[in-house]
Amino acid sequence: MIEARNLTKFFSIVNEDNTADGITAVLSASLTVEDGKFVSLLGPSGCGKSTFLEMLGGLQAPTEGAVYIDGVQVLETLPATRKEAIKYARKHWFLSPLANSLFKNKPKHDIAMIFQDYAVFPWMTVLKNVTFALKLRGVARDQRESIALAYLKKVGLDHALTKYPSQLSGGMRQRLALARALAVKPKVILMDEPFAAVDALTRERLQDELVDLIAETDVTIVMVTHDIPEALYLSDEVVVWSANPGTIRNRFTIDVPRPRRRQDAKLLELNDRIEALLKYDITHESEYSI
Amino acid sequence: MIQNKYKLRGAQSILFAILRELRFFFKGALGNLFSPAFLLILLPLILLWEILPRYGLMGPIIPPFSTVIAALGDLVSNRGFLNDIGDSMSTFFRGVGLAILIAIPLGLLTGWNIGIRKRVLPLFQMLAPIPAPAWVPITIVLFGIGAPMQVFLIFLGAFYPILFNTFQGVKDTDSRYLASARAFGASEFTLITRVYLWSALGAIIMSVRTGVAAGLVMLLVAEMYGGNTGIGFVMNEAQQFFQVPIVIASMVTLGMIGWFLIEVLKYIEVKLAVWKGGR
Repeated sequence: MIEARNLTKFFSIVNEDNTADGITAVLSASLTVEDGKFVSLLGPSGCGKSTFLEMLGGLQAPTEGAVYIDGVQVLETLPATRKEAIKYARKHWFLSPLANSLFKNKPKHDIAMIFQDYAVFPWMTVLKNVTFALKLRGVARDQRESIALAYLKKVGLDHALTKYPSQLSGGMRQRLALARALAVKPKVILMDEPFAAVDALTRERLQDELVDLIAETDVTIVMVTHDIPEALYLSDEVVVWSANPGTIRNRFTIDVPRPRRRQDAKLLELNDRIEALLKYDITHESEYSI
Repeated sequence: MIQNKYKLRGAQSILFAILRELRFFFKGALGNLFSPAFLLILLPLILLWEILPRYGLMGPIIPPFSTVIAALGDLVSNRGFLNDIGDSMSTFFRGVGLAILIAIPLGLLTGWNIGIRKRVLPLFQMLAPIPAPAWVPITIVLFGIGAPMQVFLIFLGAFYPILFNTFQGVKDTDSRYLASARAFGASEFTLITRVYLWSALGAIIMSVRTGVAAGLVMLLVAEMYGGNTGIGFVMNEAQQFFQVPIVIASMVTLGMIGWFLIEVLKYIEVKLAVWKGGR
């Protein structure tokens, strides 16, 4: 279970005229994701949903609040006072708080991540990308290849084992990222707009493949997207965000049984409602900026 | 019998592979220089160099092209110029090799870790602005005239460009590569050897290229100021006896060496970074 309690993320910035300023990227957002659920974070770009996801995965420390995965805090909260800051800096003078350990390959939490670009290592072949991930998880040498082959076969990449990611299409690269993430059998997969960079047809195919791939597993998935039909088609719960400051605005539980049809009446109705919600948010915002 | 045959085939295939690579290398290296488009520029230039001095149009000092080539031939066949080139190259490779061995790991460490960066890098940033030739007097005092002093000067010339470019390349590694590797469980050591190093490979090879260029400059400086052998020494000596063709022949030799080394590095980059282009 993933538990995010009152996450706030504040960035200090410096204006062009050298005055100090700040941006509240996420303001007091709480979210609980039960095991085996698929949750989508939906919202306009710049609403802080990606920052929220990064805090879930421990790539950024929250300014306030804390994330727990199965009761274990993911990353310690940033220091609030001067005294705490000195202590924090002293503790992490050598290794960053994000680091695992100096020499031992061992993940802190059972998470895998998929990004839009930069998803796979371009300097490793398709097969090597997957076996490398398995190696980091401590899978024995003689098992790595067979596991990797099994998952690459599932996504239809078993004919391209010795190719490099630059030789693959965008959709194939995301398939590889998917296979790599699933091959290590993580408890949680965090995805940041995984299908945003591919064309519409490929995107729908990838969504269908994702549904098939996770049907047999009990993996928990949190996905950031700005594509409403995608969120509705895949998720058990859709969390709609609003911007400035980034907060959770509405939640929709999608209790349409699987396999789903994209043209399902209930999904279409929800689609209209969310669209209206986001549109209102945008007009609302522009009124302010005038 | 059969085993022998296989062994032979193995040796043959290795030989073929080497020949193939050599062909690939020279095709790439000479292709730039001897393309028809560039020859149309180069040949008239050489022709001008041949004709103009003969009619005294370039002053009384500059010798025509053929004289320079003759001087080069004379140097090689009668004065043991190949030995000088060998000496120069041996000092050069020791200096640059030392710089590579120290600067690349240091660049990796400073690029990887902010704690090390803050404590180590400012020292080199303070020392780097001192022009490398300014180190010549103190180096001669410390090491005397000879190979150690030359190696140290070449090392100094090549060290900073390699260190700073490697550092920058490593520091610019995309955080998402690191994030996904860490999520899979990569230790910091694994990150350095399997992520940072490869992500920065282009920058590292570029840094070695700049290092080689700077090292060549320092080779010449070192040999001209303190040496009794080497291309720089020959050149310096020729200058004192006003043998202009030999001076220019040495310049041409240095240019060819520099060009060759850069081409070798280009080849290494293509071979190491198959994953970049390879379609």
